[in-house]
Amino acid sequence: VPKSLLSRRFGYVGSVLLVGAVLGLLELVPNPTDTVRALVLLVSVFVSAWIWESGPGVLAAVLATIGFNFLFLPPVYTFTIQDPANVVALGVFLAAALIIGRLSALARLRLRQLEAERKELIRLAQLSQAFFADTNRESFLGIAADRLHRALGCKHISILLGTDEGGLEVAAASGTEPIRTDLAELAFRQGNSASFPSAFGGTDVYLPIPLGVQRVGSLAALGVQVSERMVEGCALLVGLALEREKFVKVARTAEEARAREEMQTTLLATLAHDLKTPVAAVRGAVDNWEAEDGPTEKSRLVGESLARLTRLIDELLEVVRLESSVGRPQRERTSAMALVEAAVARFGDALAGHPFFVDTPPEDLYIEADPAQVTEALGLGLENAARYSPVDRPIRLGVIPDDALVRFRIEDSGPGIPAEERRHVLEKFVRLPTTSSIPGSGLGLYIARRLVEENGGQIEIDASPAGGTRLDIALRRVS
Amino acid sequence: VSKILVVDDEAAIRKVVRDALEREGHAVETAAAGADAVGRLEAGGFDLLITDLNMPGMDGLELVRRVRRFSAAPILILTVRQDERAKVRLLDSGADDYVTKPFGVAELLARTRALLRRHDPRTATAPLTRFGSVVVDRESRTVRKGDTEIHLTPTEYGLLLALLSKPGAVWTHRQLMSEVWGSAAGVTPDTLRVHMGSLRRKLEDDPNRPRFIRTEPWVGYRFVGSE
Repeated sequence: VPKSLLSRRFGYVGSVLLVGAVLGLLELVPNPTDTVRALVLLVSVFVSAWIWESGPGVLAAVLATIGFNFLFLPPVYTFTIQDPANVVALGVFLAAALIIGRLSALARLRLRQLEAERKELIRLAQLSQAFFADTNRESFLGIAADRLHRALGCKHISILLGTDEGGLEVAAASGTEPIRTDLAELAFRQGNSASFPSAFGGTDVYLPIPLGVQRVGSLAALGVQVSERMVEGCALLVGLALEREKFVKVARTAEEARAREEMQTTLLATLAHDLKTPVAAVRGAVDNWEAEDGPTEKSRLVGESLARLTRLIDELLEVVRLESSVGRPQRERTSAMALVEAAVARFGDALAGHPFFVDTPPEDLYIEADPAQVTEALGLGLENAARYSPVDRPIRLGVIPDDALVRFRIEDSGPGIPAEERRHVLEKFVRLPTTSSIPGSGLGLYIARRLVEENGGQIEIDASPAGGTRLDIALRRVS
Repeated sequence: VSKILVVDDEAAIRKVVRDALEREGHAVETAAAGADAVGRLEAGGFDLLITDLNMPGMDGLELVRRVRRFSAAPILILTVRQDERAKVRLLDSGADDYVTKPFGVAELLARTRALLRRHDPRTATAPLTRFGSVVVDRESRTVRKGDTEIHLTPTEYGLLLALLSKPGAVWTHRQLMSEVWGSAAGVTPDTLRVHMGSLRRKLEDDPNRPRFIRTEPWVGYRFVGSE
């Protein structure tokens, strides 16, 4: 059957021809009963309404009734009816034909709608697959307009997105037809959608692109041939795809940063290993040499120089680490007691020769910091105290809490630092002129300050009441 | 004579460690890579493994994990400073101790002696242990410091026995907590610290500079007996 015969435009002609043909056929068949004639005619009405739906269906019902009267009800070949009972029968026939036609057309219409919805769903599913396969914003937007254009069977598509400055801009479009920017703005700002008959046929639709309860932009579609629900579905998809693309980008950036930091950490660890290994080999060789031939002045000198070199390497590595911001502090809730214990264990030996007093802090005193870094800072402070105060002079480590801060206090009874120099000694490579006879790099207190600052704290230097230096490492207290 | 395998990708370190250990009378073999070492250890007969942490190919941590599948021989790691978390991982993976580069030969030999001694069954069962002026009598469960008897709480005594059972070895906080409390759950390192502090005040001459019960910062504790 040619498709044009089934189209609705052909419907009225079609139903006339169909009913006419059936009437002609009945005229040719010898002696059928009126019941058979009526039933066959009703079938033709049903078929007309099924194929061409309501209008042609009604026409078929009326034509069948008139034809039935004219051809078969006596007196035949007239429009008059002899038997009053036949008038009633004809009325019933007309009613039945109209009802059958109506039901048939409705069933067909419903079926067509279902079929259209099914197709739209398939198209939406395909669209969503295509959207979510693409994670790059620019390429996604470029293709999205074309894909929507095809899926909606429309004349023009514009995707408008809100900008950071609060404006609304066309991010992608599938054609050059002008759109009503006022309606697009309204959809974006107020969430109002608009749809009206299009100059291109079909509908023009302006919809917000939703994202949760917010809106990221609006969608303008001109000459849409599908349901408005389908367009809404598309707008939702665009919103979701944009959001997904944003998350993918955030995740990718984070992943890149993590990988970069991991690589730097690994590089630094390898650098530390590569610098220390030859020093370890030399130190081992000197130790072996001393063990075999006995210690000499020369071997002692080498040993001392190696110790200095090791210390410098440690300090320089720490400066590199701090200044390249590798390995951010891994903060955790740590007790002041644990920090004091660790600092004493790590650096207690460096204080040899000085009477050393530790005020054990109360148990329930906590800070939030990278424990290893704070220990390091405390240790550098202790070493500094030991190095610059005369042997036999006491060094004291205490902890002074208040409501907001925990202060780790290191006090020595050395010469002290003049008030005007106190800020400077926390800078890189700064040493007091009076201490030039004591070996040092001028990095210790700088590293300590940076470590404490990395953990959100502060170093303060003051005069100790005992006459020496008082160094406070103040960190925020937590419960 | 103990048979020791030394693994390091750096030839100079292998030579230095070998010389030092041979001077002590040990039989030393060396390997330049972890994979090679696993094969040699599987063949058996080694009393101690000394390995570098940072090596190309199989690193020290991976080597420890592989070796622990088939061998209980003590493992000593050569590390560099700073990486406390890596140290804890190493110890919890089955390494017994570590020294930090650049290490002194005397320190390396002392650790080696401690590890080898620990695997000598006589040490763990000796009824009396002395360190400094302290005498621990396992049979009568008494501890004396000089002439005075020291009263220890059951937890302190448990901690002391654990530490004494592996002289020279590092215990991570977790290992000590599960040894003494039966499980590390519900015990914080701070609790451990309080008991350890109290034990030190009772046994050490200067608790601020403990000689015997040493803290390994952020890693754990180590008992160092009189050499």
